[in-house]
Amino acid sequence: MDKSAIQKELLTMFGKDRILSDELDLMYYSYDSSFLTKLENTSPYAVVFPRSTEEVQKIMQFAYANDVNIVPRGAGTGETGGCVAVEGGIVLDLSQWKEIVEIDQKNMQVVVRPGVIHADLNNELAPYNLFFPPDPGSSLMCTVGGMVANNASGLRAVKYGTTEQYVLGLEVVTPQGDIMITGGMKSRAIKNVSGLNLTKLMVGSEGVLGVITKIRLRCYPKPRARGIAMAVFDRLDDAPATVLDVYQAGILPSGIEILDGSAIKAVNEFKPHIKLPDAEAILLFEVDGNPPSVEFEGDVIKEMAGKRARLVEWSTDPKRMAQLWEGRSVTAAAASRVRPDGSRIFAGEDISVPLSRVADVLRAVRELGQKYGIQVVNYGHIGDGNVHTAPVINPEDPAEVEKVLQLVDEIHLLAIEMEGTTTGEHGVGAVRRRYAPLEHGIAHEYMLKTKQVFDPKGIMNPGKLI
Amino acid sequence: MEFKELPPVKEQLMKCVRCGKCRSVCPVFAEIGNETVAPRGHVFMVQMLRDGTVAPEQKVYDHLTNCLMCETCSVNCPSGIDIHELNAAARSYIYEHNPSLAKDLIFDTMWTNPAYLKNAVRMIWGAQVSGAQSLGRKLGLTKLLPGDMPKAEKILTDVPFHSARRQIPAVSEALSEKKYTVGYFLGCATDLLNPEVAKATVDVLTRNGCDVIIPPDMKCCGLPHMANGKMKTAQQMAIENLKAFHKYDLDYIVTDCASCSSAVGAKNMELLLGETEHRAEAEAFAAKVMDLTYFLIHILDVRPPANDQAPRVRITYHDPCHLANAQGIKDEPRELLRRIPGVELVEMKDANRCCGGSGTFSITHYDLSMQILDKKMDNIEAADADLIATCCPSCMMQLRHGVSRRGLQSSLVHPVQILSQAYKQAEKAKVKTAV
Repeated sequence: MDKSAIQKELLTMFGKDRILSDELDLMYYSYDSSFLTKLENTSPYAVVFPRSTEEVQKIMQFAYANDVNIVPRGAGTGETGGCVAVEGGIVLDLSQWKEIVEIDQKNMQVVVRPGVIHADLNNELAPYNLFFPPDPGSSLMCTVGGMVANNASGLRAVKYGTTEQYVLGLEVVTPQGDIMITGGMKSRAIKNVSGLNLTKLMVGSEGVLGVITKIRLRCYPKPRARGIAMAVFDRLDDAPATVLDVYQAGILPSGIEILDGSAIKAVNEFKPHIKLPDAEAILLFEVDGNPPSVEFEGDVIKEMAGKRARLVEWSTDPKRMAQLWEGRSVTAAAASRVRPDGSRIFAGEDISVPLSRVADVLRAVRELGQKYGIQVVNYGHIGDGNVHTAPVINPEDPAEVEKVLQLVDEIHLLAIEMEGTTTGEHGVGAVRRRYAPLEHGIAHEYMLKTKQVFDPKGIMNPGKLI
Repeated sequence: MEFKELPPVKEQLMKCVRCGKCRSVCPVFAEIGNETVAPRGHVFMVQMLRDGTVAPEQKVYDHLTNCLMCETCSVNCPSGIDIHELNAAARSYIYEHNPSLAKDLIFDTMWTNPAYLKNAVRMIWGAQVSGAQSLGRKLGLTKLLPGDMPKAEKILTDVPFHSARRQIPAVSEALSEKKYTVGYFLGCATDLLNPEVAKATVDVLTRNGCDVIIPPDMKCCGLPHMANGKMKTAQQMAIENLKAFHKYDLDYIVTDCASCSSAVGAKNMELLLGETEHRAEAEAFAAKVMDLTYFLIHILDVRPPANDQAPRVRITYHDPCHLANAQGIKDEPRELLRRIPGVELVEMKDANRCCGGSGTFSITHYDLSMQILDKKMDNIEAADADLIATCCPSCMMQLRHGVSRRGLQSSLVHPVQILSQAYKQAEKAKVKTAV
């Protein structure tokens, strides 16, 4: 079926207010936050804005019958090209489907549609003294559907883990148009080992198996107190060593973040009021819980960090804590500020390595940057070994682009070599797919076979993940 | 200067990483919710234009004008991109390839000449007082107006006959010991639609030791032109404004209009004239420009006289985008209101969220503008204030329309009007006490 016929059919099914088919409009759906889509733009055949499971089912049945690719999309904040129709097809923009179906306070659960914004969800849960703990840097704009599809996490994964730990069940529309409930048709149980765990299979499947239309999430009680310690180091190596000291002292902070010298510079340029001290590295420890335990853990962190840090600042003042945490959460995009004629790029940005290798990887990435003559801003979730490396280049200089693509490839291979992975939380999408056989070996073949079961025609988000 | 060579296009375009933070703050995106109106989408489209992937056609222009130019995205952009400047530059580039006689007439002929503009406003006044406007509505004649004008003409209500310039002398001398000579940048909308604000401004400034000069040759600040693809005209007017103010030995150039102070302030003057021979002169000019409330608090440190007989009034304050976003001025208008006896300042929710007016946006995109206004009006109603204060005539016009649509009793004021009133009330109280 050709593009105009597809558009015509969709127009009949949904009316002009619910689809985009104009060439100019479609161009806006040719990107996400990945460097890949800055280099190459592929527009979809059409964009549809579904608002019900039945509508998604209708589109899937149509797509399946006519061999048309389907690409689910949330807010388009991903960094892998995962929501872009790189092989053509219909984009389902689910970001307008923002309904919170139910807050089940008694069972500490919430049921949402995929377009709910992460920060909005936590605002809605706050009056019930509940929260959904995964905390991506893009909280203000990313959708819960996108988080589930990518098994996203963030700054508090050290203690609270990733999205998958909170997904109790899903409603998924399969490529054939079946509406499948995972986690038990009627179940509201928190513990559930009945059947094959299709919920876990769907979480992080990046839209290659079906379209997630409803999400049942477990929530946690909101901690009553928080504190943040900032430790400032003159030697980069002292930072990972301090993290290990804190763990060995029996403390599990809710987050441990690192910013290297260039990340500090970027944050200070963007938000001067935060006033981060100049240093080789800064660690931010967040602890949460009950007030006495927060104070106790803060004392231990101060003591441990004090062994190596030039300065340790402990704060329970909400304003200062918000500043420090904001400083970290804006680093991703603010990294560009280290070079007036450059921009950070989202490529090779999400490697994850064992804790024992974090110092090695930071050193190695720095050396790789020097090898290619490219400045790399390092920051990330040092507490779980997930390092975000941000190369800063002039993306419009073909020579720099060529060099950075080589650098990024080396960073990915370095992560695998160091017993880590190419991606800790951002996902694979189109940009890291080629490492799948190397990372997974025979398991990759079983992944392909699994996909075949769900999606025999290969219409679900082709070119991604596996 | 050629579009591709403009500093924001040349230096900032590549910095967008499309993180999408702008999606979370954009008032237009909040209403429409698809990527074609996301600020990062506008940046993307400007890049497509620059690279020649899309041609400078009217439909691209129409996409780019789904933007209030409220600068909320720019001020929140982690990569530091002036998204509104990119958008304005692209609009101008496209306009040059798709000129319109009507637009040339409005923006190049009428809006560059205060006398023509005044006459146009007089015609509207005439239509209103003669009943022609309401007759036109009844007969359905207003529906014949182009674009969104049939709906948007309702926004312009109670247009005054006399402009501020007509009522205020070009030079007003200080009423107390002289401290400064101040050039008053009297914006078009204040001059023609809110002369009472202008009178209050001159009253307060002269009471506080300022000689106030309104240069007769002054032109529009150029912001409406930039929003409508007429950057070259805005540039020309900026040059003429330099000349108009250069004739006087001024300590400061003050304006009570948020849009004017942002348009003739350093950032925008740099955009318009930074790459021209007028650069140095523009910098010197812009260095003197100051928002009225900032000037009253930080330079004059005004303290209205105590008056225990002052009437109690609850006032809520709306932040104009061009003051809060473009200039970071939020505290000063509030501080000014707090200093006035009898005033109780009540904060509305999201005071810093755009009202949807944004100059000509409410005329070109009436329905969308009203959706945005409705959110603002919900917050205003919840604040339950007697008066709504703001520092921008465009916001005043929009909010006045919002008040009228909802049948509310609140009036719109500039803080300087309350201040001026406070001086007068204190004088009366003093006389009364003496008697």
